[in-house]
Amino acid sequence: MNGPDYSYAPLLFFAGIGAAFAVFSVFAASIAGPKRYNRAKADAYECGIQPSPHAEGGGRVPIKYYLTAMLFIVFDIESVFLYPFAVSFDRMGLFALVEMVLFVVTVFIAYAYVWRRGGLEWD
Amino acid sequence: MTHLGGAESTLFWFAAPLSVLGALTLLFARKAVHAAMGMAMTMILLGIFYITEQAEFLGIIQIFVYSGAVMMLFLFVVMLVGVDSSDSLVETIRGQRVAGLLFGLALLALTISGVARTTFPSFIGLDKANASGNVSGLANLIFGKYVWSFEVTSALLITAAVGAMLLAHRERLRPKLSQADWSRRRIREGVNVAGLPVPGVYARHNAVDTPALLPDGSISELSVSRVLKARGQVVNTQTLTAATEEFEESTGDSTQEEGGQQ
Amino acid sequence: MAADSFVQAHIDYGAVAPMLIVFGTAMVGILVEAFVPRASRFWVQLPLAIAGMVVSLVVLVTISRGHEVITAGGAVVIDAPALMLQGTVLVLSIIALLAMAEPLGTRSPDAFTQSGASVPGSPAEANAVRLGATSTEIFPLTMFAVGGMMLFPSASNLLVVFIALEVLSLPLYILTGLARRRRLLSQEASMKYFLLGAFSSAFFIFGAALIYGFAGSLDFDAINKAIGTNGGMDGLLAPGVLLVAVGLLFKAGAVPFHSWTPDVYQGAPTPVSGFMAACTKVAAFGALLRIFYVAFESLRWTWQPVLAIVALLTMVIGAVLSVVQTDIKRLLAYSSITHAGFVLVGLIALNTVGISGTLFYLAAYGFSIIAAFALVALVRSGGTEATHLSQWAGLGKTNPLLAGTFSFLLLAFAGIPLTSGFVAKFAIFSAAVGHGATWLAVVGMAMSAVTAFVYVKVIVLMYFSEPAEGTAVVTPSALTGISVAVGTVLTLLLGIIPAPLFEMTQHSTLFLR
Repeated sequence: MNGPDYSYAPLLFFAGIGAAFAVFSVFAASIAGPKRYNRAKADAYECGIQPSPHAEGGGRVPIKYYLTAMLFIVFDIESVFLYPFAVSFDRMGLFALVEMVLFVVTVFIAYAYVWRRGGLEWD
Repeated sequence: MTHLGGAESTLFWFAAPLSVLGALTLLFARKAVHAAMGMAMTMILLGIFYITEQAEFLGIIQIFVYSGAVMMLFLFVVMLVGVDSSDSLVETIRGQRVAGLLFGLALLALTISGVARTTFPSFIGLDKANASGNVSGLANLIFGKYVWSFEVTSALLITAAVGAMLLAHRERLRPKLSQADWSRRRIREGVNVAGLPVPGVYARHNAVDTPALLPDGSISELSVSRVLKARGQVVNTQTLTAATEEFEESTGDSTQEEGGQQ
Repeated sequence: MAADSFVQAHIDYGAVAPMLIVFGTAMVGILVEAFVPRASRFWVQLPLAIAGMVVSLVVLVTISRGHEVITAGGAVVIDAPALMLQGTVLVLSIIALLAMAEPLGTRSPDAFTQSGASVPGSPAEANAVRLGATSTEIFPLTMFAVGGMMLFPSASNLLVVFIALEVLSLPLYILTGLARRRRLLSQEASMKYFLLGAFSSAFFIFGAALIYGFAGSLDFDAINKAIGTNGGMDGLLAPGVLLVAVGLLFKAGAVPFHSWTPDVYQGAPTPVSGFMAACTKVAAFGALLRIFYVAFESLRWTWQPVLAIVALLTMVIGAVLSVVQTDIKRLLAYSSITHAGFVLVGLIALNTVGISGTLFYLAAYGFSIIAAFALVALVRSGGTEATHLSQWAGLGKTNPLLAGTFSFLLLAFAGIPLTSGFVAKFAIFSAAVGHGATWLAVVGMAMSAVTAFVYVKVIVLMYFSEPAEGTAVVTPSALTGISVAVGTVLTLLLGIIPAPLFEMTQHSTLFLR
């Protein structure tokens, strides 16, 4: 390699500016803003249940979230394969297209099952 | 060995200790959330390493799938178990930890001694491996030589989806009642024909945990969900009025100042 | 493997058709779950799954036999051992699935919970039972597992071995957690199986990575060729082989990677335990055979003594611990560990006698163990399965048919003459003596005697003690009937006329490279 590669330097520069702005904003707000607190101000505004620091059962969430996350991962992994396919499908010809369609269709079977059984409903 | 560029080695010495720190957090943090965050940090840094080593696809997938989706799943599982719950450190089998440590060290020694004894031949090099582009090269392998593995993976994905549904999804066994269905049922039964009373509406609160007041000043029990009642999360209406009074004390009663509009 | 240009992999569809049929049936099964009304699912799924496996078997015997190739870019190899193992898996899976499907007069498999997602004992569970929820997903899941088990011993590439391992394991983790009775135990078993299985998979993939570093390829043939030539990199090979072996021996249930077996076999729905004990073992030992005979063939003098020690430990620990068991399912689990040890003795013989003995043993043991677990599922007490040995007391007086059949199967496990167990053990131990490991054969026979003591203890309990209070045997449908009958009759037939199967296994010892 002939000397360091500076092609990513603007990205680094941009990230630096972003971080600096975030830090500046937090400090500026704490210095410039007026601080007059009362209990009403600290409340959740108008709507929403009071946030409770120690909810029942240690703040456990229903398993529905897990199901959604799991289904998301299944289709996320499908998209992992779509990415290299999309990059070079024009070079690979019909066989690769058939492969990919077959793969998508099979994973779509899982989707059909989940959809018909109400796994996508939130109630 | 190829020489590391200046920027690359700077990045390495900056990010490598952080990734080790994340991994150690995963090992030693007592709270599952802290462990998961440590792991997320390590995973993201690994993705950065992959990208700097010109394995763009791997790096992006690392961040996309592992740091994104899998870590999200981890956090959901942690929340499922309870954010506040921490691991019990009591050994159920005596000497298990020591034995585990010894076996781990033995495995480490075996691997290190194996790798250290190895004289590696000269590497093919990234230029050849990435000759047709990093992602295209992978596509050639995934859809070429490894097509069978790729297709069989779909069986895994289906199994995962079906398994998650079987173990986590409680199927609706009777049709869901629509608003019209509920309305018909109320009229047929003649109970709460107009629906249950809505939650209370106060100056600053109209959330579902706020009970409505009846004409005599008492609370309507029907206006809040019994789940909230069971959890003890129903708001005490006294505190709402008290907070309003406190607020008025600090700002002055605007209704009074503007000449008694009441 | 040129990465710089796209080379389309050639697939010999005649060779892989049996696997494609099984996977295809599984996918149709998922669609059935999605679109067929709940009430008729059971009677759609069961014939579908059975038909899928029968068609697959027919295609295997008629078409695939003429297609002995390495195909799909070196991913799959269909040769005589692969065909034999796939056929064994299919036949065993058919009779195992019949036992798993046993509905006992309902429209859902009796051994499986109707609502896997509800808390055990909760009103939601009772509601699901009342409204007739089903978990007929077990049929497509079993089909996926069977597909994985067929791919496992015919994979010719470490990556494909890994994927097949996962394809066969994931459905088993789920099936383990779906028992209708004693659900907490079942869920615990599923959790343990999953965690330990994930660990062993991690070991396997780590080993495969080291071997890739060594050989520059994951193909078995390339690995074997590299063993002779890559002199300077042997340091990567030894840990690699060891870690890959850990992953495979875990699935086979060999000591010291056996600890999951009793818990999982006890917690899983009883017919699923039979399915795992029979079919998973066939698949795992099939993969072990191929990896050690093809990929690590040049290393054979290195791995043989290591596996000999594993075989010894497996036989001894399985046999000794089975003596103290008080639960019939755990007893059968420890017995299956001992049998894994026996099979390993055949596997390390490094000759054709050893391979054919191993193949014969796997088939013979599979038929017996499926029938045995199917029978265990029928003994009930107080609405749940009576698995404690004390509940089996006096069964010989109250239900002579079940007790008699079960006793016969136990005698087969012990290796009494006129059962398939005797012939199988004879084949294995003569292979061991043949390659000079007489000490292993001696230990094996000693351990057979120890386990025979355990089995005879159970038989004595069934026939010579007073009937236990509250133990009853439910009358099964023809499904369990066929499953038990086929398993038992074959156990007897293979003991009297083992020659046909033996000839098949003897012709199935040549690995394609």
